[in-house]
Amino acid sequence: MKRRSSFSRAVFIGTIVFLFMPLFVLVLYSFNESKSGSWTGFSLRWYIKLFSDSPDLWRAFGNSAIIALGSALVATVIGTLGAIGVNWYRFRLRSYLRTVTFLPMILPEIIIGVSLLIFFSGLGFKLGLFTVFVAHVSFNLPFVFLLVLARLEEFDFSIIEAARDLGANDTQTLMKVIVPMTMPGIVSGFLTAVTLSLEDFVITFFVTGPGATTLPLYVYSAIRFGVSPVINALSVVMILGTIALTWSMRNFLKYIAAK
Amino acid sequence: MIGSDVVIENVSKSFGDFAALNDVSIGIKKGEFFSLLGPSGCGKTTLLRIIAGFEQPESGTVLLDGKDVLPLPPDGRKANTVFQNYALFPHLTVFENVAFSLRLKKQPEAAVRERVNEYLRLVELQTHGSKKPAQLSGGQKQRVAIARALINEPSVLLLDEPLSALDAKLRQHMLIELDAIHDKIGITFIYVTHDQQEALSVSDRIAVMNAGKVLQVGTPQEIYEAPATDFVAKFIGETNLYEGSILSVNGELVTIESAEFGSVQVTDTDPPPSGTRVSWTVRPEKIRIGPDKPSTSRNALNLIQGRVDEPIYSGFQTKFYVKTAGGATLKVIKQHADWSDEGPEIAWKDEVWLSFSAEDAFLVEVKG
Amino acid sequence: MKRGPGGLYATPAIVWLTVFFIAPLFIIVLYSFLRPGLRGGVEWSLTFDAYRAIANPTFAKVTLNTIVVALGATLVTLLIALPCGYYMARSKNQTLLLLLVIIPFWTNFLIRIYAWIAILGNEGFLNDMLQALGLTNDSIRFLYNRWAVALVLVYTYLPYAILPLFSTIDKFDFSLLEAARDLGASKFGAIRRVLMPNIKGGVLTAFLFTFIPIFGAYAVPLLVGGTESYMLGNLIADELTKSRNWPLASAISLVITLVTTIGVMLLVRANGANVLGGGKEASEAKAEQSAPLLNASLVALPHSGGGAS
Repeated sequence: MKRRSSFSRAVFIGTIVFLFMPLFVLVLYSFNESKSGSWTGFSLRWYIKLFSDSPDLWRAFGNSAIIALGSALVATVIGTLGAIGVNWYRFRLRSYLRTVTFLPMILPEIIIGVSLLIFFSGLGFKLGLFTVFVAHVSFNLPFVFLLVLARLEEFDFSIIEAARDLGANDTQTLMKVIVPMTMPGIVSGFLTAVTLSLEDFVITFFVTGPGATTLPLYVYSAIRFGVSPVINALSVVMILGTIALTWSMRNFLKYIAAK
Repeated sequence: MIGSDVVIENVSKSFGDFAALNDVSIGIKKGEFFSLLGPSGCGKTTLLRIIAGFEQPESGTVLLDGKDVLPLPPDGRKANTVFQNYALFPHLTVFENVAFSLRLKKQPEAAVRERVNEYLRLVELQTHGSKKPAQLSGGQKQRVAIARALINEPSVLLLDEPLSALDAKLRQHMLIELDAIHDKIGITFIYVTHDQQEALSVSDRIAVMNAGKVLQVGTPQEIYEAPATDFVAKFIGETNLYEGSILSVNGELVTIESAEFGSVQVTDTDPPPSGTRVSWTVRPEKIRIGPDKPSTSRNALNLIQGRVDEPIYSGFQTKFYVKTAGGATLKVIKQHADWSDEGPEIAWKDEVWLSFSAEDAFLVEVKG
Repeated sequence: MKRGPGGLYATPAIVWLTVFFIAPLFIIVLYSFLRPGLRGGVEWSLTFDAYRAIANPTFAKVTLNTIVVALGATLVTLLIALPCGYYMARSKNQTLLLLLVIIPFWTNFLIRIYAWIAILGNEGFLNDMLQALGLTNDSIRFLYNRWAVALVLVYTYLPYAILPLFSTIDKFDFSLLEAARDLGASKFGAIRRVLMPNIKGGVLTAFLFTFIPIFGAYAVPLLVGGTESYMLGNLIADELTKSRNWPLASAISLVITLVTTIGVMLLVRANGANVLGGGKEASEAKAEQSAPLLNASLVALPHSGGGAS
């Protein structure tokens, strides 16, 4: 049995090493005394600098957090409602919405960024946090839409009829039946939107303006204009943060599911 | 609770080119257990959904206790539905599912608790109130759906193939429970099913439907024994159905000339005149089978000679396919009552005699 | 499906996507036929200058480079991802292996690029090691060429190929392989003749998830590439921000948009699926794949009872 999968096993192990190697180097260098590449000794100075002397970084982090939470919230509300409409009801523009939500999935990010930049500038919008927010809602919306839709497709329309039969009006059916029963899909859509937003560089790069530096943009300028090992420390903190966040969200979701 | 009578008059409904219901009229009495029986696509579910208020017919009326309910929304009618796939709210517990409509009406919590517990007791789920639907078995889900539909005290309960998702054994059990619930609360049940066994065993009356039309309305006995059309004869139970033309009529005794059997005597209360082309039927269990020619002088007994083509033994009975001299194949069922009944064994390729009384054979349909 | 408040529910989504997604796309179509303004923007007179500019050799060179890099990187990604997906699908520890693939992506996209700079740079980890081992005295220049770009692109999009391949292969009935072996096929013969035709859909999805973003790559060639590894994405950005030739940037964007959408349609059609439906399927798959990729084990581990079902 072992021999039979030896080739795919070797490729898989090689791939995992390949995937983890950059992480390993980041962790290693984050504890490096020296500013340059070579290892000169163990030190926590970059972590200290990260937490005590990096105001721009934390401002960028703040912007990222605001944009991520705000755009995810708006995208989740709009996308969820859209998915509910498309899944269960017939209306004009239904197939238009279905098509429009899958287009962003097949277009490279740069196209979305460029077209939004030209759109905003052409209309005389001032580039800044607001345009970044709008752009993030736009690319998050289809993801939320599709994730919620996938959850909704598990249910039969007779659930809606049952609610009507038992005396619920449209609003009550929406708030007391559809939304709560789709909650796992909605939560997963929201979290996906938050992560997509925190992660985005390309689209943000095009539509951002003065004072609207997000964390990825900050990292970008750090790379372009002289790398500081603070970035190494930041990476390690971000990895740990993601692990902690994922872990607690996972348990939270389990708790919701079990309730 | 008291039931309502439901009157359906000239209801028609089509989906695009497909005529789901074609001028259907049925009268359902107060407190009746009434089944709509037919193959899938016959329009039975559409009719139920029209009564429930989920569909609007193109023409016709639906009256509950003489009052036209078509303008009313589903929750404005004193009818509630038990859905085919239960349609339980997955995010709510059993208790909350049943309490759903009472809480919408903002009834005081104490009253809600009392009522919900009462109905959970009715369906014997009082200890399962805090479970989620996903933790229940199929039969339990079904009972939650019933309790949830009944808590509004409707005068009509609409059941859309409620047992189709259950396995055969559980279906039998739930059927008995449904019957018991019906007897206890006494409201009108309208029960949609494609399973003739289900319909025959619990219904007070049955409407057999096919292709958007009601073919026959009657008690289970009437429908089984004296089917009104070829379709009903074939759809309900197993049968032998043949055609021929009427040779002579003597009161209710009709003699039919057919290519396969020569002449056969059957019964009909209002027979058409001689020469009419008709179909006739006899149920397999009404035919006796034996190795020897029965010695009887009754003249209303049909005697047919044949050869066993295929005996199928299934424990409590054996089914024989018997090829007659005229080239027809008759289905015959012999019950194994007890040891004294066994007689000589009949095997494959044996020559046998079949006999059935004219009173067990019926004229079904006049052929154009 | 019924008439009801669906149109009302869908209105915000329809309006938002029309205004902030469809309208901008139409604007770049329009702009690509206009004359560039002095400092960005456009002058309202019709011209095909932008399309004429696309035809010049510089542009053709970048286009060719983009196609070569994108196809090469995608091919390598798929060749690595296929055996990985196969191994994961056959493993008993699927949850663990999935996590191993996903965890490296818990770091930000740019930080991952940066990590490669830290490895491949002149004073980077690799040069450090080589010098420490005495294999070389001068640092070798690994970065700022086409190979570095391809390497980082493969690294970035590998999980996007592994995940769909894993989920398709996981659904494959492996007794079919045994049947093929039983009938005399060699191990690789069975994989080629029985497994591959059955996982075509997953391979296609993996191809699209990898090729499309690589074709429109911007940040990777910008940060680890040199002038010879310039890609279309960089060209657009330069026209937009440096030369301020918006019509040309629009025209190039349009070309990329057309190439990707036509490519998707051709591929999906070649796969025998309905184009629109197939596209939807692929996009739904992408949303579902991205969810675990991005918010990690939350959705990635449905087997372990994460969600209510």
